[in-house]
Amino acid sequence: MHSFHELLMLLVVLTNFWILGTTRLSAAIRAVAIQGALLAALPLALDPGLSPHVLGLAVGTLVVKTILLPMFLLRAIREAAIRREIEPLIGYTASILLGAAIVALAFSVAPRLPLPEMESTLLVPVALSTAMIGLLVLTTRSKAVTQVTGYLIFENGIYVFGLSQMERVPFLVEVGVLLDIFVGVFVMGIVLFHINREFDSLDSARLTELHD
Amino acid sequence: MSFFGAGLALILLAGLSAFLLEGHGRLAGGVFATGLVGGGVLAAWPALGLLGTMDSSLSVAGGAFGMDLLSAWFLVLLLVVGMATGIYGVPYLAKAHPHRGAGRIHLVFTILLVSVAGVFAARTVGTFLASWEVMAISAYLLIMVDHDQAPVRRAGFIYLVLTHTSTLALVAMFAAWTGGEAGGGGWTAPFDHLAGASDGPLFPMTLILLLALGGFGIKAGIVPVHFWLPGAHAAAPSHVSAFLSGVMIKSGIYGLLRVLMLLHPVPPPAWWGWTLLALGLGSAVLGVLWALAQHDIKRLLAYHSVENIGIILLGLGVGALGVAYHQPALALLGVAGALVHTLNHALFKSLLFLGAGAVVLAAGTRQIDRLGGFARAMPLTASAFLVGSLAIVGLPPLNGFVSEWMIFRGLLETGTLPGAVRIASLAVVGLALTGALALACFTKLYGTVFHGMPRSGAPGMARGVDAGLIWPQWALATACIGVGVLPFVVVPVAAGAAGAVLGGTVTRSVGGIDRVAEGSTAVAGAALGLVLVLALIGWIRWRRGSRKAARVGDTWACAYPRVTSRMQYGASSYAAGLMAAFGPMTGSRVVSHAGSFHVQVADPVLDTVGLPVWERVSQAAARLRFLQTGRLRWYLIYLILSLVALLLYLWSVTTTQ
Amino acid sequence: MSVSSLLSLLVLLALAPVLPGIANRVKSALTGRRGAPILQLYFDLAKLWRRGVVYSRTTTVIFRLAPVALVATTLLAAWLVPLDGTTSLVTFPGDLVAFAGLLALGRFALVLGALDTGSSFEGMGASREVTLASFAEPGLFLCFTALVLATGDLHLEGMLGRPLAAVWPAVVPSLLLVATSLFIITLAETSRVPVDDPLTHLELTMIHEVMVLDHSGPDLALILYAAALKMALLGSLIVSVLVPRATLGAPVALGVLVGGLLLVATVIGVVESVMARLRMNRIPQLLVAAAALAGFAVILLLR
Repeated sequence: MHSFHELLMLLVVLTNFWILGTTRLSAAIRAVAIQGALLAALPLALDPGLSPHVLGLAVGTLVVKTILLPMFLLRAIREAAIRREIEPLIGYTASILLGAAIVALAFSVAPRLPLPEMESTLLVPVALSTAMIGLLVLTTRSKAVTQVTGYLIFENGIYVFGLSQMERVPFLVEVGVLLDIFVGVFVMGIVLFHINREFDSLDSARLTELHD
Repeated sequence: MSFFGAGLALILLAGLSAFLLEGHGRLAGGVFATGLVGGGVLAAWPALGLLGTMDSSLSVAGGAFGMDLLSAWFLVLLLVVGMATGIYGVPYLAKAHPHRGAGRIHLVFTILLVSVAGVFAARTVGTFLASWEVMAISAYLLIMVDHDQAPVRRAGFIYLVLTHTSTLALVAMFAAWTGGEAGGGGWTAPFDHLAGASDGPLFPMTLILLLALGGFGIKAGIVPVHFWLPGAHAAAPSHVSAFLSGVMIKSGIYGLLRVLMLLHPVPPPAWWGWTLLALGLGSAVLGVLWALAQHDIKRLLAYHSVENIGIILLGLGVGALGVAYHQPALALLGVAGALVHTLNHALFKSLLFLGAGAVVLAAGTRQIDRLGGFARAMPLTASAFLVGSLAIVGLPPLNGFVSEWMIFRGLLETGTLPGAVRIASLAVVGLALTGALALACFTKLYGTVFHGMPRSGAPGMARGVDAGLIWPQWALATACIGVGVLPFVVVPVAAGAAGAVLGGTVTRSVGGIDRVAEGSTAVAGAALGLVLVLALIGWIRWRRGSRKAARVGDTWACAYPRVTSRMQYGASSYAAGLMAAFGPMTGSRVVSHAGSFHVQVADPVLDTVGLPVWERVSQAAARLRFLQTGRLRWYLIYLILSLVALLLYLWSVTTTQ
Repeated sequence: MSVSSLLSLLVLLALAPVLPGIANRVKSALTGRRGAPILQLYFDLAKLWRRGVVYSRTTTVIFRLAPVALVATTLLAAWLVPLDGTTSLVTFPGDLVAFAGLLALGRFALVLGALDTGSSFEGMGASREVTLASFAEPGLFLCFTALVLATGDLHLEGMLGRPLAAVWPAVVPSLLLVATSLFIITLAETSRVPVDDPLTHLELTMIHEVMVLDHSGPDLALILYAAALKMALLGSLIVSVLVPRATLGAPVALGVLVGGLLLVATVIGVVESVMARLRMNRIPQLLVAAAALAGFAVILLLR
């Protein structure tokens, strides 16, 4: 099983790149759903003993990240009638290159972090790169739905990091899953108010008045 | 030890009940005063016990807080002054701010009191910094009580900028300190873990000592970072001014002493001692000179705090030099002198501020040149103020003399030692000049305010001053007299606390306490002798006078029919000779033309350094304004960029494990 | 404490009023006049002591206390000085601070008494007094510092007594500087020319005299006596610095003290007759020069 969880994590990184490279919103949502499924499998792969705790975590993750949230998001793009990301701040090719740089940075920094020993050496770099790619998506895309997927990816990074600390801080991951409720609220907002641009467009006029 | 926590809790409770009972006038005041005194006595009990027995230290709250001799010394002065000023605050606020909720001011006052206690009792980096920040903020709130006046807002703002600079320096200092020692534990590090770190690449002592000087120096009001102090202390309600000047600025002195203590057994480098000495000289001389130029009674007193902090620093400098040059006896004398002067300044400065508050309340003005003749209307306030004045000038037989005597002794003793440390004896000039100028300043203040004829007709209204305003003053005055005539009780205790600062062994190795306390009995004897001789000569004089009735007439007016109040020598004229002699150093400018004479005062440091620097910083900051887009996305991008920068930094400084 | 020191104190107390008399007499003689008798101050004191007293209606109790405090503090300061050359009546480490502190307390009382009247002239005198004292005090302390450095002792008893006698030959140059500085300080503290003119009749030019304008009768007597005592006391410091008397034996030491004081008074008279009073704003410079002399002595000793 040793190589199985490493394979899972490599796939997580690949889904990151998929999201960075795709223009179609529905494709991005599917990628997030797949990433959710991969993450649900990850604790099982890391801890093959199948304890009830791990099992519950996997099922919960699968339900929230792979089924509920993508369903919400798909419904949101249907309601808001948006298909494509049109005006990203950074182009798709550049995004992928940046993503690659981030992954390189994450992998080179991770061994130097003063963290205790853990099950897999891949967990920390994958967590870091996922979180940062999530932030990248969140900041460079202009559609609200894409930003929500960015947030989801960011959070998945935190989830992976939580897995690395599962032994020491048992409920960290569960708290992370709870954060998904927040995403649910985002999505509800999109659905209810038909937001089809980035979030700050809503109040951008007032927000820019803020600075003195 | 649980007394300590219970006492502080009771004090907070007193403040809270004053807040909740707001509008119930006397009841609220009574509950507040009772709780404050009860809590104060309760909290002071273990501190006094510790100082009395002089043995080990106590800890509370799982080691987050605790008490050793150094803490106990400062806690005692905090609680004494806190109780006196807090009680004074009840009638004072009722009169001075009848329309502003007194309850919330009392509440914030108790928070300030307890947070200062937290600073003195903190035993970990985290609790220290947290208490420090609560202290800074609650003091800000109290300074801003009269926020409808523009000068008050300005003073509050300057204070806020400087106090946060101070906190920043301290955070950096502790980061450098804990970061150096492997396993230091960061913010939860107990002070014990900091102790004894040796100088080296992991422990940049030079940096730490400089940051300590900056951070604690701002809070203490050392020249040239004093300029927040006069404005802030003058702006606050008088009993708060008394507490700020008497106690809060002492947290800077406490911090410097704590740093000295935690360095033990590694001596601080000699330059640190010399810097403390130089800063002390500068603060003392310039502080009193600037005080002399003031027209505002509270600003004058506030500048005297700068002066007295300078005197304390002279003692501290002697102590640090003693450690650096391996002269334990000298170190003990210097630190003990600094401790006694800290206590004394707390007593007489709060006393003077309370007296000034009573006068300002009666007269409705803080301008010295519009006061006069208050000794007849307010004899009890006047006599208490006289005690405070004699004490702050350092005259026998009052407490100020005892500590100035110790610090003079420390400075002079350097002259009897071999090596470079002898040069410190030259600092005696500065201390002597300070004393003489303080005499000039307090004769000006006392003479103008309490003597002569009323200049604005106000003293007539001052009759029947609230007893609640009088007896806190007299409690503090009694303490001043007590320390002055009983130095053999106080000095050995201070020497013991100084010994704890310097690491215990010092005390024993040089016969410590006895050597410092040597002569304190003689000082008490001389004080007693002075009183007896005064009584004897007074008796002789009285015997002579009682045989012939004294006539009462007008003041001789040198051929004018009679002296009028407008003919009196004003405070500005009184100080004019000294102002002229010291010229531009005083920051004041004489404006005189036919028939009018006026002295314009300014703070030289604030005007030539503080405000221009502030101007530059705001301009530079304005150029960074483009960063404030107001767009969420950009803030997230800043987040990523800083994250990447941090990771890159980590990558560059560490090696693969 | 010893019998000889007590005796010396009594001699000093009795002798003090002679000194201004001598200074004035010398001044008169040198300017071709006869002048008042040497014992004039005794007559004045006796007369004033019998006179009645007038108090201004603006004054408070401070005004009445001030003369008493002035005499008491000066008297007590004399206890700290080894008048017989070896021992003081009271001694403790750092008693020199108490010496200066007691004189300052007397000044504080006198100045407050002056301000108590509300008179503009007395306010002016008080202002000048504290201004000059601010420049004299550092000089006095520098003199003391030089003596501490020379003797390694923090007791006035040692700084002016036996330890000083032991090191005296080696530090004579510094001590000469200290004595000169002390002399100038004495001129200022006792209100003599070129700092103040005790015989002037224009209030605007006075310092000390104008401060006591409203004191009368016994109060004025106390003030005049205290001023004379202060002159004797500061003079005794000068004599002690110039002539180490510790090895001379008590009677000779006392004789040297008396002779020395008379000589100091004579020199003051000579200075008064050859110099004019300085302009008020030049006086600080004179006192700073005095402090600089003492500072030079300190630096010589620090080498």
